[in-house]
Amino acid sequence: MAADRPWDDVLAEADGQTVDLWMYGGEEAGNAYVDDVLAPAAAELGVTLRRVPVADTGDALDRVLSERQAGVTDGEVDLVWVNGENYAAGRQAGAWLCDWALDLPNRRYTDPADPLLTDDFGVPVEGCESPWHKAQFTLVYDSARVPEPPTTLAGVLDWAQANPGRFTHPAPPDFTGSVFVRQVLTSVVGGPGEVPLEFSQEAYDEYAPALFERLATLSPALWRGGETYPQSQQELDRLFADGEVDMTMTYGPATLADLVADGTFPETTRVLTLEEGTFGNASFLALPSTSGDSAGAQVVADLALSPEQQAAKADPGTWGQFTVLDTGRLEDADRAAFEELPASPVVPPYAELSRNAQPELSADWVSPLDEGWRRSVLAP
Amino acid sequence: MALGTRLGRAALAVWLLLPLVPLVLWAAADRWTAPAVLPQAWGTAGLRDAVDSGAGTASLRSTVLGLVVAALATPLGAMAGRALAGSGVPAGGAVLAALLSPLVLPPFAVALGLDVLLLRLRVPASVGVVLLLTVAALPYTTVLMRTAYAAHDPGFEEEARTLGATARRAVLAVQLPMLAPALAGAAFLAFLVGWSDYVVTLLVGGGQLVTLPLLVASAASSVGNEAQVAVLSLGSVLPPLALLVAVGLLGRRR
Repeated sequence: MAADRPWDDVLAEADGQTVDLWMYGGEEAGNAYVDDVLAPAAAELGVTLRRVPVADTGDALDRVLSERQAGVTDGEVDLVWVNGENYAAGRQAGAWLCDWALDLPNRRYTDPADPLLTDDFGVPVEGCESPWHKAQFTLVYDSARVPEPPTTLAGVLDWAQANPGRFTHPAPPDFTGSVFVRQVLTSVVGGPGEVPLEFSQEAYDEYAPALFERLATLSPALWRGGETYPQSQQELDRLFADGEVDMTMTYGPATLADLVADGTFPETTRVLTLEEGTFGNASFLALPSTSGDSAGAQVVADLALSPEQQAAKADPGTWGQFTVLDTGRLEDADRAAFEELPASPVVPPYAELSRNAQPELSADWVSPLDEGWRRSVLAP
Repeated sequence: MALGTRLGRAALAVWLLLPLVPLVLWAAADRWTAPAVLPQAWGTAGLRDAVDSGAGTASLRSTVLGLVVAALATPLGAMAGRALAGSGVPAGGAVLAALLSPLVLPPFAVALGLDVLLLRLRVPASVGVVLLLTVAALPYTTVLMRTAYAAHDPGFEEEARTLGATARRAVLAVQLPMLAPALAGAAFLAFLVGWSDYVVTLLVGGGQLVTLPLLVASAASSVGNEAQVAVLSLGSVLPPLALLVAVGLLGRRR
C-alpha cells in the first residue's frame, strides 16, 4: 500500500467494506458509544462497523498472530483498541500494519510533538496505530470518609499507614496494580524525572530497593493486613463500592462518572489530584497486517479522530474519554464543542487532571518491577 | 430410607439452586451496595443492558451452536462407545485414551494451535468452531455411550432378528429406544460444550460468532455491570437447567 495514496482512493475502496473492531467489552459506555455514535457515522461513509467484545485485548492479538502465522490476508480482525504491552507484543511480531496512521486527514488536529502520541509505553508509535483517547492514572477517594485527602502520593502512603485497613491496591501483574507500584517508585526516589524511562538493570538495582522497602513497611497497614491483595482493579472497585476501603485507583477515570451515576460508587466519590502529577497514556486503534478491509479500517480510524467524534466521545454522558486532539489546532466551531462539554462533579477536566503528567516508564520496566514486588513485598 | 433419600434430594437441590439466588437478586437490582442485605433499588436496568448488548441474537447463536455440536457428537460418540464396549477394537484402551485426550489438554492451547492449522487449510471459521467443539464433546458422549452399551443386553435385538426384523429395523425399533435416556444425556453434555464455550468460539470463530459466553466474559471483566452480568448468566444457566430437567424426565419415564 502506498503511503501517500490519495485519501479519496481509500474512501472509495472502503465503501461497502465491513470493519471488525475488536475491543475490551467491559465498559458499557464505550460499547454504547461505538454502537450508537461511531457505527452510524461510519455507515454514512459506506463502512459497516461491527464491534467484537472481548474480555481481554490479548485475545484479539492471539487471533491476529494465528492469522499471521497461517499467512491469511483477509483476516477477521480489522481494528483493535490497544496500547502498552499488547501493542508492543504485536509490534514485535509484525502484527500491525504501519505507514498509515500518520496520513489520516484528521491527524492534522493532533500535536505531532505530543509525547503521549509519539510513544506508547516506551515503544515508538510511528504510523502503526492511530490515537483514540488519552487516560490519566488517577487515585479516587470517598470525600465523606476522607474529608481531608492527602495531596501527594507520599502523603497517600502516610495516610494509609495512619488508617490501617482502609487502603490497598491490586496485586501486580494486574495492569492497575502495576501502574500503582511504578507511581510509588517515582515518588520514593524523589519525584518524577529521577527514574530513567529506559529500563536498565543498573537503574533497577539503584531505585527498586527503596520502592520495595516502602511498600513492605506499608503492607501490614493495608486492607486485611496486607496478607492478601485484590487480584484486579475490578476487585478493588468492588471493595471501594462496598465501603471496605476508602480509595480506589484507575487508569480510566472516564468510567467514574458512570459508576457514580448508576449508584455503584457513592455520590461523594472524588478524584484525588496529586501535586507531582501522575502517569498519563494514550490508547490507540491498531490495524492488523492480516486485515482484509484495511481501507475501511483506516476510514473508521480517521472518523474516530475527527473533532465531531472526539467531542461526542469526550462528553461524560456519552463515554467521557479525553481527546487526543490539540484543541488549539481546531476550527473555532469545533473548539467550542469541546469548551461546551458539561463539567462532571466527579472527574475534573483533563487539563486539571493531567497537570504535571508524567510519561510512562518503558514497557521493559513492567515485568521486573512486578516480579520484584511479588518477591519482596507479597512473599518476603 | 425413603425419608433419607428425599432429604438427600432436597439437600442436593438446595446446593444446586442456592448459588442462583444472588444471581436472581442481582439481575433485578438497579442498585445494590454493601452493607445492604437486599438491593436498595429494584428494576430492569440489567435486563435492558443485556438486551442492548445483543443477548437475544447471542443466545440464538449459542443455541444453534449447541444443537449442531450435539447433533454431530452424539451419533459419533454412540458409534465409538458401541465399538469400545465390545471387544472388537484392537488396543481399545489406547483408542479410548486418544478420544479422551481433549479433556486433558488445555482448551486454550488446543484452540491457538489448531487455529493456525485451520486457517492454513482455509477451513471456514464456523466450520472450524463446530469441528473443534465436536472433538471436545466426544469424550463425554463416548464414555457415556460406552457405559450404556456395556450395560445393554444385545439379546433383545437378537430376539427381534429371529422374529424376522432386518438389522436396521432391530437398531431403530429396539436398540435406540432402549438407549434413548443415555443418548439424551450424551446429547445434553455435547450441547453444553457448544453452548458454553468461550475460547474456541472467539479465536477460531474469528469474532464472527458472538455467542452468550462472549458477552458474559466481556461484561464481567469490569465492575459496575453486575446486573447485566447476572441477567446474561441466568440466560446462560436456565436453558441448560430446563433441558436437564427434560432429559431427567425422559430418563424416568423409561
